[in-house]
Amino acid sequence: MSHRLLQRASRGATSIQVWPSPATVRASRLAPAFNQRHQLGHASAQSFRWSTTGAGPAPHKRVNPNLTVVGAVAIGCLGFGAGLLVANSTPSTDKLNDNVNTTAYATHSEMLQAASQIALAIGPDNVSYDTDDLEHHGHSDWSTSNSPIRAAAIVYPRTTADVSAIARICNALNVPMVPFGAGSSVEGNFAQPHSGICIDMTHMDRIVAFHPEDMDVVVQPGVNWVDLNRQIAHAGLFAPLDPSPTATIGGMVSTNCSGTNAMRYGTMKDWVLNLTVVLADGTVIKTRRRPRKTSAGYNLTALFVGAEGTLGIVTEATLKLAPVPQDTSVAVVAFGSIRDAAAAASELIRSGIQLAALELMDEVQMRILNEHGSEAVRRRKWEEKPTLFVKFSGTTEGIKSDAVRVGEIIRRGSGNEEGNGVRMHFAGSKQEEQDLWAARKEALFTMVNIRPAGTEIWSTDVAVPVSRLAEIIDLSKRECGQLGIFASVIGHVGDGNFHVAMMYDPRDGQQKDAVARCVHNMMGRALDMEGTVSGEHAIGIGKKECLVDELGEETISLMRAVKKAVDPKWVMNPGKVFDR
Amino acid sequence: MSQLAAKGLGARRLATATPASTIAARRPTTIPTAATFTSTTCLVALASRSAARRYLSTDKKAPSKAANAAADRERGPSFKGQMMESITARMQREHAEQERIARIRQQSATSRGFSLTFMLLFVGSISWVLGTKFPRDPSPASTLPLNATRPPKHSTGKAELEAAWADFAEIVGSEHVSTTAADLDAHANSDWSSHQGDPGDPASRPFCVVYPASTAEVSAIMKVCHARRIPVVAYSGGTSLEGHFAPTRGGICVDFARMDKVLALHKEDLDVVVQPAVRWEELNDDLALEGLFFPPDPGPGAMIGGMIGTGCSGTNAYRYGTMREWVLSLTVVLADGTVIKTRQRPRKSSAGYDLTKLFIGSEGTLGLVTEATLKLTVKPAASSVAVASFASIRAAANCVARVVGDGVPVAAVEILDDDQMRFINQAGSTSRQWREAATLFFKFSGTAQGVKEQIAIVKDIAKKAGGESFDFAKGEQEMKELWSARKEALWSTMAVKKEGDHVWTGDVAVPMSRLSDIIEETKRDFKTTGLVTSLVGHVGDGNFHIIVLYSDAERKLAEDCVHRMVKRAVEMEGTVTGEHGVGLVKRDYLPHELGETTVDAMRKIKAAFDPLCLLNCDKVIRVQKPKAGEVAEW
Repeated sequence: MSHRLLQRASRGATSIQVWPSPATVRASRLAPAFNQRHQLGHASAQSFRWSTTGAGPAPHKRVNPNLTVVGAVAIGCLGFGAGLLVANSTPSTDKLNDNVNTTAYATHSEMLQAASQIALAIGPDNVSYDTDDLEHHGHSDWSTSNSPIRAAAIVYPRTTADVSAIARICNALNVPMVPFGAGSSVEGNFAQPHSGICIDMTHMDRIVAFHPEDMDVVVQPGVNWVDLNRQIAHAGLFAPLDPSPTATIGGMVSTNCSGTNAMRYGTMKDWVLNLTVVLADGTVIKTRRRPRKTSAGYNLTALFVGAEGTLGIVTEATLKLAPVPQDTSVAVVAFGSIRDAAAAASELIRSGIQLAALELMDEVQMRILNEHGSEAVRRRKWEEKPTLFVKFSGTTEGIKSDAVRVGEIIRRGSGNEEGNGVRMHFAGSKQEEQDLWAARKEALFTMVNIRPAGTEIWSTDVAVPVSRLAEIIDLSKRECGQLGIFASVIGHVGDGNFHVAMMYDPRDGQQKDAVARCVHNMMGRALDMEGTVSGEHAIGIGKKECLVDELGEETISLMRAVKKAVDPKWVMNPGKVFDR
Repeated sequence: MSQLAAKGLGARRLATATPASTIAARRPTTIPTAATFTSTTCLVALASRSAARRYLSTDKKAPSKAANAAADRERGPSFKGQMMESITARMQREHAEQERIARIRQQSATSRGFSLTFMLLFVGSISWVLGTKFPRDPSPASTLPLNATRPPKHSTGKAELEAAWADFAEIVGSEHVSTTAADLDAHANSDWSSHQGDPGDPASRPFCVVYPASTAEVSAIMKVCHARRIPVVAYSGGTSLEGHFAPTRGGICVDFARMDKVLALHKEDLDVVVQPAVRWEELNDDLALEGLFFPPDPGPGAMIGGMIGTGCSGTNAYRYGTMREWVLSLTVVLADGTVIKTRQRPRKSSAGYDLTKLFIGSEGTLGLVTEATLKLTVKPAASSVAVASFASIRAAANCVARVVGDGVPVAAVEILDDDQMRFINQAGSTSRQWREAATLFFKFSGTAQGVKEQIAIVKDIAKKAGGESFDFAKGEQEMKELWSARKEALWSTMAVKKEGDHVWTGDVAVPMSRLSDIIEETKRDFKTTGLVTSLVGHVGDGNFHIIVLYSDAERKLAEDCVHRMVKRAVEMEGTVTGEHGVGLVKRDYLPHELGETTVDAMRKIKAAFDPLCLLNCDKVIRVQKPKAGEVAEW
């Protein structure tokens, strides 16, 4: 009986590969010897006892050690199992949406410790603790969603290896990492609500390689898109994206930016061939090589574009380039009402004419142009009516025939109800073309410049299917108008996307609430119309809740699963896009 | 006797040792879990029972002691006195002995109990700690290297699958669950696939084919498979070329054939909501009535589901981009049956991660697409076709580079090599005879004026690049005729194949400037092997196909040649597949193209989406360490 028990026990002990205690391993090795020397059970039992605990009463019956072994194995297994269960409560099967395992972030002093380790790794000159610097990296006048918390330090990497070293250190010490490009984002995308280390990519601003014959360019994230386009203009190529003029590639990739060119050329995600990304644990990956098209493996490039630095830090990007169009032209048309303008816009989109851009500015914007525009813009007396800006590009002949067709559509379109009120004005010269378009580009800056001291601008964007555009702009504008504050609409109507900017006094709680409500309603309306809560500004801190409304808990859970897979400690730009 | 004495000695030694061990036993008063606690009490009870038994055994010593006393008594001078003395002494001795025994019994029982408890608690808690430290998800790593994977555990036993069959029959109706041999074979592999499975292996055939009719049914099927751990392969058109739908671990096949409806057409918004088994050609026929069209144009017979799965493209990709650019949103059933929708219908969005694009090209390994909202564009007002032939591939490629570089918005630009043109002539599939030289096919679209202008520009460029002929269509009929050569390319090559030959369609893409290099080298390489090949390329985006005819004996030769071509593409910073996807055949090339860490990151994402690895297991990326010799040398 005892014999068999022990055999079973020894089998049990050896069959568990991960069995921890060396003592029991020794016991299992002893077991066969014990069986052989069954007659001298006493002696072997004693040696066995010594091997397990080292002290204890002398057994007077041989059954005792056997029971002890069985017991120890059983308890050991139970303990191990229980431990595994507790630790592994992140289920590996169905529940994507669990919130366990939330490791706390490092304390402030631990973050400083991380910063000093980083200083060792990338050089002390590249780490800054300066208060002004921290403030500059933590707050933006453009943003509606600032956080009062500042980073513990700003680090300035110069190479991908630097970024990898930073990530390794931060990941090990649970320090949040927040990448920083130009700081032109508007939804608090670079705010540091959990403090941590802010990684400023300013020094990574080289154009690494330019392949004009392949029509692509390899750049570092700190490159400014305006500079880039200037430097490659000689080859007749350009990167057809136009967000804020200060924006840099890293941030453009991370917010999946676009701009007025999106109607013709699409958004950032259509122009990135590959990305070199540093993941949370410091692993460096390159998502692709340089073919123009590929279907090899998962499209990680698209995953990182628009991820707002929550999945990894972009340290190099290869961008597709487009040939600079042979010729361009600009026309402006003023409409009687914003609804007419929007309706005409949606008519133009459906016509299939390949316009370069189609922008809408409301009468408030036009008034600002007249009153506060730059000299070039004020050369012209603008009609203070909702106005469409149409940009043509292509061959000279093509533009001519496009322009004729656009003219026809607008004349016979809904705008015609105003009688002969609708006039299309074409730029007569290259200079005028530039001036006309400058009016559109200046809009936001003029607005920021003229705002009364103490007020802030709440700028937000939504996008809807094109057929609903007129309706939502109309409704949103009416609601903003009722607030009795400055509110205006600028739209990239070519792809159903528009911005609303409202000036409010942040000290006036009531006014702030009213503005917030108005924005909220606009989001709700966009979603009802099967649109999105963010056409090009991304989610950041400001629109997290809206995103849940847009996509639903299940979809967010899947995003969370993606996030958790590549950033298990949740240290990459935490608190953005969605909460864990 | 001596044994007994030794035992007594041992017991005494122990008795003195007791206090120390009792203290030791008391010290670790770790709170035991409920489990440890109960078993500890059990073992304490066991220990005290054995102690009681020992007491009985020592008791047996008493009669022998009494016999000794009786012997003494006989020898003594004063019988009574001696007797009394000896009795008293004996009584005292016995008393003392009994007390001692009682004490020993008491002490050893307690101490043993304690030390046992201590030992077991110690083992238990050490194990518990080790248990919590055991490697587990989430590890702090951002990637999942192949070495760290655990092989997926599926249950594909007959009993399990038969039980699942009943579940499926309940969900979709038994008439929509097929187990006929023909059906299973059709869903196991195809003639045109470059993947050659082992037909004898039961794991390379599905157990049954399920035909769901709605997203809800797909979700219910996935829930069953998830609960029962049955692998699932999705199937729509079956036109894929790299073994995308060939099962590797048995399980079931979900065929979307019944989900073939256009759900909603939003003309104003230029989008359409479709189910996965809609054919792109039929969709375009419907859309043409509204003056709209959907640009991606892969192989005939392809369906939306598979087009999304492989991230397909075609001749239109140069102007319009690939499938990735034409999907607005997807409804996807995940591995556990959860249904998600990646977006609503806006034309552009920067809200959250781009899951849509992650699913496109994931080959059914991340989820099953049950509904897609596709972007549409307006059908161009006018279009035309031009054909230009060149003395060499290089001259043709130079011409393309100029056209692309000048930004002429041609709709498509395709290259066919001299062999291909010869096959077309031989097959007689078109109404005219062609120059047997490297030939470019241009498609133009736009306004009538614009098209005319484009043709003039391209003609000029072609002439400068050494074009030997330039024909353009002057009418609808001529346009069809000219384009027919491009359309018939694959079939013309197939027409010249011998009985029993197979066809392999290779597909790589490189940056445009390297295109003529790789085409020339590849053609030279194939020429030396003597295999019949032809070449067709979507040159506008650096992508081309080589069509190889081979007999069973030449399989290795063809394989090696294609392998060298892929290697060349990677060395030129290209990709191992431009539009056909990875499937089973090209997954071992991925680490070379993308780097080990990138593939590890993909694997991590796969594990996050589908931890049990039920969805199209083994495709795109390996999920389990390959056996020795399974991966061909690079």
